Amino acid sequence: MKTFKHFNAYSIDEAVSLMGRYGERACIIAGGTDLLGKMKDAILPAYPEALVNIKTIPGLSYIKEDGSMLKIGALTTLSEIAHSSLVRSKALALAQAACRTASPHLRNMGTIGGNLCQDIRCWYYRNQNNRFSCLRKKGGRCYAIKGDNRYHSIFGGSVSGGCFAVHPSDTAPALIALDAKIKTSSRTIDAENFFEVKPVKTTVLKADEIVTEIQIPAPSGTTRSAFLKFALRKSIDFPIVNCAAMITFKDDSITGARICLNAVHVIPYRTVQAEQIITGRKIDEALAEEAGKAAVSGAKPLEHNKYMVAVARTLVKRSILTCAGR
Amino acid sequence: MNKEINKFLCPYCGDTLDSADALKSHVFKAHKGRSLPGPVGRIRLFINRAEHVFQVEPNWTLYYLIHDKLGLTGAKQFCDRGACGSCTMIVDGKPVLSCMMLAIECDGKSVETVEGIAAEGHPLIESYVNNHAMQCGYCTPGFVVTSKALLDHNPNPSEEEIVEALSGNLCRCSTYPQHPIAVREAAEKMKAAKK
Repeated sequence: MKTFKHFNAYSIDEAVSLMGRYGERACIIAGGTDLLGKMKDAILPAYPEALVNIKTIPGLSYIKEDGSMLKIGALTTLSEIAHSSLVRSKALALAQAACRTASPHLRNMGTIGGNLCQDIRCWYYRNQNNRFSCLRKKGGRCYAIKGDNRYHSIFGGSVSGGCFAVHPSDTAPALIALDAKIKTSSRTIDAENFFEVKPVKTTVLKADEIVTEIQIPAPSGTTRSAFLKFALRKSIDFPIVNCAAMITFKDDSITGARICLNAVHVIPYRTVQAEQIITGRKIDEALAEEAGKAAVSGAKPLEHNKYMVAVARTLVKRSILTCAGR
Repeated sequence: MNKEINKFLCPYCGDTLDSADALKSHVFKAHKGRSLPGPVGRIRLFINRAEHVFQVEPNWTLYYLIHDKLGLTGAKQFCDRGACGSCTMIVDGKPVLSCMMLAIECDGKSVETVEGIAAEGHPLIESYVNNHAMQCGYCTPGFVVTSKALLDHNPNPSEEEIVEALSGNLCRCSTYPQHPIAVREAAEKMKAAKK
């Protein structure tokens, strides 16, 4: 790693003003498990001039219930979330997602804020020393379209003609399914609208904006949520496809549903078609199957990732059945 | 060049000043109530219960500091990207990957390495040898440190819990089946020693 200036921020204001001064020339570091890898591989189009450490800000690591909201501080580690009985009882899908992210060591380091703001995982984008000057680096093209695209988007590309790199977060689909909000240093954003594809950018955050809190509305008594992940290994791996669902039941019928896939598109992919199909109907295996098919009805797989369509379809089906307790 | 980059840099706002005196008066004026900045990169660590003070560069990882600079060569670097577990150290009671932590951010933390675990005569070392839980041995310190952290907060782990705790450590010689046996044996020894 080349050197850089290093700041410890002791308040959100201090971090915001430091980021305001450096803008895109600086990066925020919390757990660092994504950022340090990028700096070691030298894949950032511009190597950061400064790092602003926000781990030193007191009071940003907590899990608490506030009225009808579950509130989680941005610096809360994934292992704290995975092991929290409060998260397990109020937002099971999030606990399950945190539990399946990376490895136990990385969960001790990585934070929920960082898991949402992490960069894409594409082997062209992440190739050392910027070997592929791709669209996300303001370069000319997406190398995955004609290259090895077995882990790329099955729902089309984005950024002027198509970056096909997928968003790798496990907690993001869980938060979208749970209808969470993300509070930053300057506003509150629906988790669903938090992600955006731009060169060197995966979120709508401005350069001097910092995620401070995750807010999850309390589910009603008959709401169930679930998170499922398909990866080659049980531990360490990023998802090939993952899926989170939150379904509200009345007797045997479904009165409300939110289902979100991730690692299948450039941003988390909410499957509204599947939600519409199951809402108001009685749950059974055939219906879940139908919802799975609807979820991938818009799929446009590339040459090497057709298998991901089948995985996504099955995960949607299974997550619905898991919520129904079957 | 490394030495120059942080010279007279205000740690609160990023202003660069010409001299130490200018920095002092800047902090006094612009950041009233904040302490005057000390030397940049001066950190205090408790490594295997001994206190150390280091002068570190911002781009040094905890691994680099402890392995290359301090010379505790038990932790190993393999992937250097946080994906293999061979550089595991226990920081403030939790197993973490020292290759993915900046030393400058570890000020005040307590660190345990495999050297400290061996020095205290932890039964894990003996049970790893007895059960031949290694072949080439490169990943072994990472496994031992992770297992020690597990036994610290769960003295009687089930096989499932051991497998889960060690799931971030890779072994290319595939000694995996031996690890739960070794950790269970160490746990039994610790239980017997307590009685």
